[in-house]
Amino acid sequence: MDDRDRAGGQPPPSPAAGTNDEDGRLVPQMTASANTAREDDLRFEAEALPYIDDVYRFALSLTRDAADADDVVQETFLRAYRSWHTFQPGSDARRWLFTITRNVFLRSRERERRHVDLEDGDLEALSSFVAATDQGRDGIDQILSRIDLGPALRRALSELDEPFKSAVVLVDLEDQSYEAASEILGVPIGTVRSRLFRGRRILQEKLMTYARDAGFTTAQRGQRGSKHD
Amino acid sequence: MTECKGDIDCRGAVQKLWDYLDEELTPERMDEVRRHLERCGDCLPHHEYGRVFLAALSSARRADARAPDALRRRVMDSLRAAGLST
Repeated sequence: MDDRDRAGGQPPPSPAAGTNDEDGRLVPQMTASANTAREDDLRFEAEALPYIDDVYRFALSLTRDAADADDVVQETFLRAYRSWHTFQPGSDARRWLFTITRNVFLRSRERERRHVDLEDGDLEALSSFVAATDQGRDGIDQILSRIDLGPALRRALSELDEPFKSAVVLVDLEDQSYEAASEILGVPIGTVRSRLFRGRRILQEKLMTYARDAGFTTAQRGQRGSKHD
Repeated sequence: MTECKGDIDCRGAVQKLWDYLDEELTPERMDEVRRHLERCGDCLPHHEYGRVFLAALSSARRADARAPDALRRRVMDSLRAAGLST
């Protein structure tokens, strides 16, 4: 086709009309674009949507309210869908969704992050074990080994304040590494450690209260001697 | 807390116990703590206590907590409204 033919014959395809494939066939650009969008949608459906239960569980642990959790989940997936093009194929979609969930939660509450006075993970680790020992580790040992702590722990978790709760939920319940939790929470790994260890210590204290209420520690402490006495 | 012979003392071992239980230490540090626990009768109960506590905590995860069907429909409806084509 020369210029004359082109001028007097069929108009050249506009850029929006399409391109030719390897065999010279016209592939409309709109169709190619639509195909790409559909492929993205299929990937989103296959890689992100299966984590809706995980996102719901995390949202529920953050909000402590089913209706609020529903809102957070919906907004999380909407944001995830709109920014799906930023998701690195092959990376951890669950971690990525948790990050969005956490951000949606914080935005929805317009809550300022509470300042953590103590960010020393080593000190938190030490104090949690020492406190458990000195104040009646046997009491927790007893109830840990004897009864189903699930309801008590779930209640203690629901009462745990931020930012400790998120660290405990992510690492201890959702099996995220410190590094992953650091990325999700947007804080250094050292901060994750200190929040995690303090959260665990608070939970232990709540369980101690539970143990006392259940009559374990009083009897135990009255009967046994202690090298700290 | 007592002192005992080894690569790290009891204080160092207990400070690293959560990291050890979470398997977040370097292999060398993991070995240090493991060797200490094998020798130290005072620290071993701390380790056992932490292990049992974390197991109980992990089991508190509500594996049965599924997103309600109404929420699933709501999420899909909002995604389709945003352009999801599937």
